[in-house]
Amino acid sequence: MSPPHVALNRFGLGARPGEAERLDDPRGWLLRQLEGPPPTLTPTPEADAGDSDLFRSLFAGLRSQDQERVAELRRVARQRRQAEMSAVLTTRVTTERPFAERWVAFWSNHLCVSSADGFQTALLAGAYERDAIRPHVFGRFEEMVLASARHPAMLYYLDNVRSTGPNSAAARRPRRGKGPVAGALRGLNENYARELLELHTLGVDGGYTQDDVEQLARIFTGWGVSGVGPERLRVRAGSDTGAGGSGEIGFRFAAPLHEPGRKRVLGRTYGEGEDAGVAVVRDLARHPSTARFLAGKIATHFMDDAPPPAAIDALERTWLDTDGDLREVARTLVRLDAAWAPGHRKFRTPQDWFVAVLRAVDAREAAGTFPQVLQQLRHPLWAPPSPKGFGDLRREWADSDALMNRAELARTLARRATRAGRTQGDPAAPRRRGPDIRPLATVVALEPGDPLPEMLADESIPVDERIALAFAGPAFQWR
Amino acid sequence: MTMNRREFLHSAGMCFGGLATFGFPEVHFANVRQDGRLVFVLLRGGFDGLAAVAPTFDPAWRDLRGPLAADTDQLLDLADGFALTPGLAPFREFWDRGELLALHAMAIPYRTRSHFDGQAILETGLDQPEGSAAGWLNRLLSIMEGERSGIAIAAGMPRSLTGPVEVSSWSPTELGVVEDAYLDRLSVLYRSDEALQGRFEAALGMLDVGEEMEAMGGEGMAGGRRPGADAASLFRAAARLMSTPEGPNVAAMEFSGWDTHANQGGVGGNLDRQLGRLAEGLAAFREAMGERWPGTTVVVMTEFGRTARPNGTSGTDHGTAGAGFVLGTGVSRSRVVADWPGLAEHQLFENRDLAPTLDTRAVLKGVLAGTFDLTPTQADRVFPGSSGVRGMWELMS
Repeated sequence: MSPPHVALNRFGLGARPGEAERLDDPRGWLLRQLEGPPPTLTPTPEADAGDSDLFRSLFAGLRSQDQERVAELRRVARQRRQAEMSAVLTTRVTTERPFAERWVAFWSNHLCVSSADGFQTALLAGAYERDAIRPHVFGRFEEMVLASARHPAMLYYLDNVRSTGPNSAAARRPRRGKGPVAGALRGLNENYARELLELHTLGVDGGYTQDDVEQLARIFTGWGVSGVGPERLRVRAGSDTGAGGSGEIGFRFAAPLHEPGRKRVLGRTYGEGEDAGVAVVRDLARHPSTARFLAGKIATHFMDDAPPPAAIDALERTWLDTDGDLREVARTLVRLDAAWAPGHRKFRTPQDWFVAVLRAVDAREAAGTFPQVLQQLRHPLWAPPSPKGFGDLRREWADSDALMNRAELARTLARRATRAGRTQGDPAAPRRRGPDIRPLATVVALEPGDPLPEMLADESIPVDERIALAFAGPAFQWR
Repeated sequence: MTMNRREFLHSAGMCFGGLATFGFPEVHFANVRQDGRLVFVLLRGGFDGLAAVAPTFDPAWRDLRGPLAADTDQLLDLADGFALTPGLAPFREFWDRGELLALHAMAIPYRTRSHFDGQAILETGLDQPEGSAAGWLNRLLSIMEGERSGIAIAAGMPRSLTGPVEVSSWSPTELGVVEDAYLDRLSVLYRSDEALQGRFEAALGMLDVGEEMEAMGGEGMAGGRRPGADAASLFRAAARLMSTPEGPNVAAMEFSGWDTHANQGGVGGNLDRQLGRLAEGLAAFREAMGERWPGTTVVVMTEFGRTARPNGTSGTDHGTAGAGFVLGTGVSRSRVVADWPGLAEHQLFENRDLAPTLDTRAVLKGVLAGTFDLTPTQADRVFPGSSGVRGMWELMS
């Protein structure tokens, strides 16, 4: 794979026709994308599903069991989520900083939440990426983990809102009423603590014990969500039934739910209160196991399913030297000679593939239906099947059904694109010959002797079929 | 060193690479392969076990269920006072042939009313949620001996099949209609890619399954995940894929739409009809498997049961224990498998749900031992941390 194709496809989000030939300093092009502020995103109100009023209204509606109102609110929420996802896809398709945008997607997936969970997480997933991930992709990892830990989407997703200190003030309070909810919810929920260790920071082999998980869970008791009703209600009914409340849906520390006393995690002692949680997040983010785990994950994403150990070592060193400065880690990645060595390649995930198709045809925006297309390709935005996030390995994506899905979808997209092109054309204009689609052969690296260029030039094949061949053929499946 | 036939076939298959999977004339293997086949059908959303298999003998049942227990004379008696909802009538034939286990008061080993956690537990086969764990069907494939392969017959790779062992997948899609000439040209292109060529050829080999479904009048293929009118087509497609001599012997299927918070209905209602489409699908599957039905086991499970009482919107909410089914010739005899906990108020779990007395893993271990000759130790390894849960080896003969 040539250096321009490595830069445009493996680091970036897909080359546009002719772009590879024009790119004379691929490494510099990537490094320049790391300069300046992180790639933030401001939603329009119609594309903001995480809006506090909508969130509260839906809560209230669900509690009241007013089915009509709930249906209406769900419709609004669905529309906003679609618009939100389309906006992010549009950004990926049109951005001139595709490496920075891939860097965002990588971290968003690493610290993922999933819309496939409850409606709370579904509403907040877009806001989560915007507010907890994007601002920190060029900063220190610990700031990102902290923003993630405090974001309502994560607090709901990994159940920290349900976690109560067994000896907290709330747990000691006499129980009012009976019924199904009262007994079910009092106590520790380890979900977030476990995933923070296993998936977000140290990694599964990072050297922690079940006892560390439990102690960590105690530290996070009381980390909850503001703006969703009085605490009394939450305490009694558990986590998430508060209908009232005001102000932004955000983070709050609820001292009555917090487990008193000192806790010990990985040999360190932490005190009581909110600060202990902040301190432990920073310690975990700076832990050597975290550096090792993330260096491997980054190398795997940007180089190869089996990256060279020396590359992992280099990334780890930068991580340790800079306390997880993600901009510096990204720079090290680009500067690694091994990353540019021929022979490395990654199988495109469905999102990668679809965005690359749209970039190759120079699409201006992602249509509103495209989030559903990603769903059909089994790679929906913000909805991984587990807190581990989506994988990026060939064995996870390159199955037979996936290849046929791409063949079929490419055919459909090409058919529609050429049809749309015809109807938009000026009927008075002189009849042109079909568009020259040969440049489509340049968006990916082809092996010598690949029959694709010949097929693309073969005018006996319908033009829409030739376009589809470019995207469904094997070369386009790799980055 | 002696090599049994299975091992021989395995090594022979290795020599032929991916090509061995498709297109081998049946006569070569028909007489030597006696492998079991397993289909794991996951009903996502938590179907109401008390509606599907009604405990009509329980003194508390009628009052507790209220409107959901109307028209009880139309229920189909099984045994011991358990009765099927009429939609499940196609199961009666399985029952009469000695091929049906109805499982009741069964639950995953983790108390949650979350779809997400519940499905994760059921699909990973663990006793608590673990983000990165592989699915138990994938673990099974890594533990089984001899030639084995897995397939997802679903729009998406179910968690149960994900993991280190490579599996294939097939789903009916409406992503697009493709011409033969286009596929021929793609085949030419794929010839230059060693890593992908075999998989693309495999996809081509399965393409006619979709075409056959169309020819049989299957409609709305993309809607296949919900057992709509076309669940039977999807099951026929599954049979078509699994009944080839070298076809996969482990398959995962899934259907959603069981989260009946509202308008669940009783006899003839929404849920009854939906169960009916599922049961018709399974009857179609058995028929389409033909001579390969013997040795095949189908397991139907869901992440949790629902509240014992109806809620305020004529439905039921997330509960705990529920029902499930095992269908196949390996079943030792048709029966209802339940250690009945009772429906009296004090017997309900947290005063709202059917209490769990049967662990899904105990059932699945028994099924695996009976279908694939797994030893108890191997079956334990499919479900890590479950060595304290005795497999129900007696379920299968």
